[in-house]
Amino acid sequence: MSKAWTEHATLALGLMLLLSAQPGAADPAEPRRELDLPLERYEPHVRGDLRLSGTYPLWRDRSRLDWRLAGSPEEHWKLNWKFMDPPYNSAVHGGHFALDRGEALYRQLDRSGRFAACLGAPRGRLKGLRTRYPRYRADLGRVVGLEEAIEHCAAAQGQVLENGSYDNSAVSLYIASLSQGLPIAIDVSRGPMRAAFERGRRLFHTRAGRLNFACSSCHVRNVGQMLRGSHITTPYGDVAHYPVYRTQYMLQSLHLRLIECNLDAGVQPLRPGSRAYTDLEVFLTALSNGYPVSVPAERH
Amino acid sequence: MHLPLYGLLFAGLALCAWAGDWPADAAVDAHAPTRTLTPKVVVNSGRLAWEPYKRDLTPWPSLSHLDRRPTPPPQAAGFTPPLRGDVARGRAIALDPARGNCIACHVLPGEDWPGSLGHLLLGYRKRGHSDAYVYQQIYDRRLINPNTVMPPFGTFGLLTEQDIRDLTAYVQSLD
Repeated sequence: MSKAWTEHATLALGLMLLLSAQPGAADPAEPRRELDLPLERYEPHVRGDLRLSGTYPLWRDRSRLDWRLAGSPEEHWKLNWKFMDPPYNSAVHGGHFALDRGEALYRQLDRSGRFAACLGAPRGRLKGLRTRYPRYRADLGRVVGLEEAIEHCAAAQGQVLENGSYDNSAVSLYIASLSQGLPIAIDVSRGPMRAAFERGRRLFHTRAGRLNFACSSCHVRNVGQMLRGSHITTPYGDVAHYPVYRTQYMLQSLHLRLIECNLDAGVQPLRPGSRAYTDLEVFLTALSNGYPVSVPAERH
Repeated sequence: MHLPLYGLLFAGLALCAWAGDWPADAAVDAHAPTRTLTPKVVVNSGRLAWEPYKRDLTPWPSLSHLDRRPTPPPQAAGFTPPLRGDVARGRAIALDPARGNCIACHVLPGEDWPGSLGHLLLGYRKRGHSDAYVYQQIYDRRLINPNTVMPPFGTFGLLTEQDIRDLTAYVQSLD
C-alpha cells in the first residue's frame, strides 16, 4: 500500500514539474518585459538628484526655499513641492485630524507596550523609527514597510488595521511625527534590503500597462517637462512626507500613492503591501535618504 | 481509487488557467464590471474599501513580480494607401483624454495646455513624411525607436485602424 502511495506521489510530482516547466508558468527565466533603458545607477541618498534634475539645492532646506519660485507656475516644480510641507498650512487641515486619531489609536494599541516592541521600538521609544523603515524583519522573513508592520502588529493585538486604511495611515503618521526633522536613514548596501532596492530599481524601469510606460519614462527621462498641465518631478526626496493629506483626496500612504500612479498611467494596480510596491518603497525611500521627515504635509 | 485525487489536481490547475492572466496580488474583482478596482479610504476605519475603476486594466502586464505576461512585441502596421482619413475627427481624437490624448505630450497648433515632452508637431505638413511612416509612428513607434515613450496605440489595441488613419490625416495637415 505504501508503495502504491509512493508511485502516485512520484507521478503527481512529475506532472507538476512537467507543467511548471512550460514557458510562462514557473519558468525560472523572466518573461520578456520591456525596460526603459539605460537602467540608471541611482545614488541611495537624496543628493543623487544633483545628477538627475539638479534641483536639489533649491529644496534641500525647507526653511530657505525661494518663495518666488513657488509663486511661478513655470518654476514651482523646481522646489519638488516642498513648499507644501509643514508649516505651509499652519491652520488645521486633514493631516492634523489624522495625527490626533493616530495618537489615540497608538495609545490604545500600546497599552501593554507590546505594540511598540513589535514595531521594533524597544521601551516604546518611537523617535527615529520612521527613518529606519522599510527594514528586513527576520520574524517575518521579508522586507516590510512601516504600514505593513503596523498591520501585522495590530493584528497581534487582535485589531484590524489594513494596510492603506485610514486608521493604519493615521498610526503611521503619528509615528512619523515623532521623527519630524530627522533624516531618513535606511541601509540598502547589503543583504535583503540591497536585493529589494535592486528589484525596485528594475521595477522603476519596467514598462507596464496599456500605455507601456515605465516610471522612469517620465520621472527620469523627462523631469521638468510638462504632461498636459503638470510638471514632472524628480523621484529623489519624495517619500519624506508620507502618509500625506491630499487636498483632493484623503489620507494617503505611499502604497496608495503608487496605486494612484499606476491608475493614472493605465497600469493595473496591486494591493497595498504587495512585494512589488514594497520593493519600490525601498527604492524610493533610499532616494530620500538624508532628507528630513516632514509631516503632516499636504499635496494637491 | 486515487482518481479523485488527480481529478482535484487537474481541477485546481484548470481553475488557475481560467481565473484570468492577472497576478494574485492585483487589485481586481473578477465579477466587477471593469474588474480593475480603485481604493477608497474610509475616515476613521481600519478597513480599506474598494470601488470599480472606470476602465479595465487587467489585459496589460502589471508591475507585480507574479505577473508572467511579456510585453506585447513591436508590430509593423501594414498600412495600405489611400489614407482616407478625416482631419476633424483626427483632431477630436488627439484632444480626447480617453482616446489619443496626444495633447498630453505634444504641442499642437492652436490648442491649449499642451504637454512638452513629445516632439513638436508644429509645421508637420511641411516635413514631407509619408503617410505610411506617420501611421507606423502612431501604430507602434517602437519599430522606429525601441526606447520611445510613445504608447503603441495600434499594437496595444488602444485605437482602431480608422482612428489612426484620421490621426495621420490630422498630423499631416498641421501648419
